[in-house]
Amino acid sequence: MSNTMKFLVVDDFSTMRRIVKGLLNELGYSDITEADDGNTALPLLKNGSFEFLITDWNMPGMPGLDLLKAVRADARLAKLPVLMLTAEAKREQIIEAAQAGVSGYVIKPFTAATLKEKIDKILASKAAA
Amino acid sequence: MSQADTLDGRYRSHVTDLAGALDANDEAAFRAAFDRLRAQFNVELNPELKRITADAMSALRRFREQARLEVLADHEVPDARRRLAHVVKLTEEAAHRTLDLVEQSSPLIDRRALEAAQLLEEWGLHGSRQLAVNSMWPERANDSLERAVRDAEHVRRFLSQMLLAQGYQDLSGQIIHAVIRLVMELETVLGQLVSLAHGEDTRRMPALKLEPTQPMPLQDGSRGSGPHVPGVGTSQIVSDQDDIDALIASVGRP
Repeated sequence: MSNTMKFLVVDDFSTMRRIVKGLLNELGYSDITEADDGNTALPLLKNGSFEFLITDWNMPGMPGLDLLKAVRADARLAKLPVLMLTAEAKREQIIEAAQAGVSGYVIKPFTAATLKEKIDKILASKAAA
Repeated sequence: MSQADTLDGRYRSHVTDLAGALDANDEAAFRAAFDRLRAQFNVELNPELKRITADAMSALRRFREQARLEVLADHEVPDARRRLAHVVKLTEEAAHRTLDLVEQSSPLIDRRALEAAQLLEEWGLHGSRQLAVNSMWPERANDSLERAVRDAEHVRRFLSQMLLAQGYQDLSGQIIHAVIRLVMELETVLGQLVSLAHGEDTRRMPALKLEPTQPMPLQDGSRGSGPHVPGVGTSQIVSDQDDIDALIASVGRP
């Protein structure tokens, strides 16, 4: 795991983006880009070299689930680790996200320990694959 | 315009008859002329009354069919009340959590500042050369620095928790946005009801945006429905992280 890993954090609430960015900084990650919905995130992903995507679900414009589907449908991005960080807590929604290929799912409000554990787990799975 | 359509064509003869009967002081003729005049009024008034009644009935039917007033009144307004109450609870909890963390951090900072001030004062009074051979200053300074490291770690952890506590703004913001959408919908419906009460033709008003995807809670699975609010909705909620992980693991990627 490298702390130069490039993260893209997508959330329509700037406060939540700052929170996630702050927590990632605490975990040692400093290369973090922000986007406020899927429509702004997707071009960044296609043109950048991001190694980890953290996205909200419920956003104006393109919601997180559609962004996830677009990522999985893009051959260059298909293997990108995607952690969904969302308030959506319905069982059927979690199943839908899993079917769409989400790498991890954390429900807000969350703890720093949960975020770290999920990121570590996803990266470990990726390394083992 | 034909003679029958003009005011003169429709009423002059009646008025002339009335004036003639009045001049002749003929009450029976006056009453007869008056009845004919009233009948003419009724002929013209009835279609207008029928139109107004039909408009009102149509508008009421449209409200019943489209406006979901019953749904709004019975479910979504009470839901909105519960959502706002939940927002109050979220903000209150976040404020208390932040204040608790500030209160926990303050004594640690105060203790560090006090110890550092005392050590500096002694250092200033005596200077390094004046310290007695058996002075405890170096040991006390060492202990203080060790405590500083521990306290700094505590404060760093408290600050991290304060950072997370601000997440309430995201959750409460999503809930408030949903309530704003409901208020906008109610505004449209109430505006049309007021217009209806004033006798305006609601058929000329903009169509109500009351499709199922528009009002809260959003039912579009792709877009999500916002944070779970206790007492609102009937879906099965999963909040335990182990359950979420198990659910994710149980679903194979297509």
